Amino acid sequence: MKLSKDGWGGLAVLAASLFLFALTLGLKDNPLVPIGPGYYPRIVLAITAAFALALVVMDLMAKHPPAPAGEKLNYLLVVEMFAVFGLYIGALPYLGFRISTLLYVAASNALLDLPRSVRGWARVALVALITTVVVYYVFERYLTVLMPRGRWTNF
Amino acid sequence: MFELLGAGLAGMFHVKYLVPLFLGTLIGVVGGALPGITITMTVIVVLPFTFGLEPLQGLACMIGVYVGGETGGLITSCLLGIPGKPSAVATTFDGFPMARKGEPGRALWLGIWASILGGLLGAIVLVAATGPLAQLALKFGPWEYFALFVLALSMVAGLVESSLVKGLLSGALGCVVTVLGNDPVMGQPRLTLGISWLEGGIPFLPVLIGVFAFSQIMSDLERFSENTSAALNAAINLTVSHAKVLAEILTRPFLLLWSTFIGLVIGVLPAIGGSAANMLAYDQAKKFSQRPEKFGSGIPEGIIASEASNNANVAGSLVTIMAFGIPGDAVTAVMLGALTIHGIQSGPLFISQNAPLAYGMFAAYILAHPLVLILLFFGVRWVLRIVIVPKSILFPVVLVLCVVGAYALGNSMATVYVLLVFGLLGYLMVKFGFPLAPFILGVILGDQIEINLVRSLMTDSDLWLFVTRPISALLLGASVASIALSIWQHRRTQKKSAVASDAADF
Repeated sequence: MKLSKDGWGGLAVLAASLFLFALTLGLKDNPLVPIGPGYYPRIVLAITAAFALALVVMDLMAKHPPAPAGEKLNYLLVVEMFAVFGLYIGALPYLGFRISTLLYVAASNALLDLPRSVRGWARVALVALITTVVVYYVFERYLTVLMPRGRWTNF
Repeated sequence: MFELLGAGLAGMFHVKYLVPLFLGTLIGVVGGALPGITITMTVIVVLPFTFGLEPLQGLACMIGVYVGGETGGLITSCLLGIPGKPSAVATTFDGFPMARKGEPGRALWLGIWASILGGLLGAIVLVAATGPLAQLALKFGPWEYFALFVLALSMVAGLVESSLVKGLLSGALGCVVTVLGNDPVMGQPRLTLGISWLEGGIPFLPVLIGVFAFSQIMSDLERFSENTSAALNAAINLTVSHAKVLAEILTRPFLLLWSTFIGLVIGVLPAIGGSAANMLAYDQAKKFSQRPEKFGSGIPEGIIASEASNNANVAGSLVTIMAFGIPGDAVTAVMLGALTIHGIQSGPLFISQNAPLAYGMFAAYILAHPLVLILLFFGVRWVLRIVIVPKSILFPVVLVLCVVGAYALGNSMATVYVLLVFGLLGYLMVKFGFPLAPFILGVILGDQIEINLVRSLMTDSDLWLFVTRPISALLLGASVASIALSIWQHRRTQKKSAVASDAADF
């Protein structure tokens, strides 16, 4: 018996819901209300665990036909984009909105469409600059959203 | 009612409301026409811009995006053969062949006029039905609300085509998100895992933005190629006799009304959306047609059915959110978030407590249709030029706006971290085949389910009341029936495919 994606997904959810369920057992009831803070989470997590278990069992019992040869998907690009986005989020409190957004837009634009000439790089820089300036001014100046300042740059 | 609607319409002509409505409609048309950018993503991008506006200004803008997006999606469907959004897929079946046969203007304007008529017919139901439905919901106690929310979740989970268990599990996972943080009754911290930014709970807007924006953008990136932009034929002739096009639609009144009805019903059902409405309406049009074999070859019926239904779907979704506080789809879920940000409680009391706002929303919905018409009359070629903006530029800009939208919710990085975490989770859910609609509905309704469950048990600890109170029993019965129905449908499909594969073996 071999698990498919459904089975592995079900197992992951089952583990997470059982872990959280165990944590709810440590929640103390409040004498002022008849139902403690753990009452509803326990119901939800028990239901989640039951569905996840059902998914695993159904997957184990199902016949898995060999997967048809599909088109080749570019997962590397997805990982790279997530990584660049993660770096952007990580950099925001340290570099501030303006610097990190400028770098993020330039990096992700270049990653998706690598410039092959000086003109291409100029386009990347221009798109990053315009995006950053427009977003910053619209939100900070006109919509009074105070964008993050950098701890390292104070900018 | 008519007095309030008249006041709403008159108010909407004021520049401070008309400008956001117009801009929203324009952005919606462009976003709807952009292949790979859904209306949900467009409304997510627009959301942070509405934070600084009055509630009605922001909602008018979002309604404009919604109506404009539903109509804008047909432009690329008809002229390029690429659906601008999932709810325009069926439009492509006949719109593009008609355009290729040398009638691009007819294909395009049949779609636009059908959208406008379907949307305006939907408006009649929106205005007439929302109030009475909200009145009915006012009779609900916590038992009935609990049952209603459970019904909404089970219906959405049951409508997932791939697997009922995955749909139910996805909805339950959404509810799990709402139990992290403080308990809503006494505010006691629970399941925070030692993470400080979890203490206040997880706000649903960054979850929604992360899940929808990332799942779509990252899935698009798997097949990303900058060379796939569709070529635009600048010499395309879009001239058409509008009287003839209108006559073509109005001489098929049953088709128009039935497609509108389907769109409305699908819209009223929680979290399903226009993609189901347009396919179902197209299928129904084919079944009722005297020339079903012609469908797919470029006949007007296919375009009218698809477009009338997806615009009527918007009205249906607005009915559900305004009468019950349950989002009809992802776009209305974002609107729900916008209402919450402005401190407005959605639900049955919404109309009675915020009548000017509610009727302003009706007015915005009605006025968005002529605005779409004007925009497309003068600017359809311009929209066609915008849709070839490279995605290498578009995607980073959209993600920056998602970050700004999440950050602006509380001027805090915590919501941005929530965005990242749920962006990753949303993408993984798509890769593992978990449907997103039940998950989001679980995130939105989880709190309400808990609050109403606790309220009912604090009022009377007798659990039998859930099944002895008539409305609650009816709703819970419908919930069980909807799950039973989907199990039966799933088994029937499995049997049919087994018979088909046996026949193929011989």
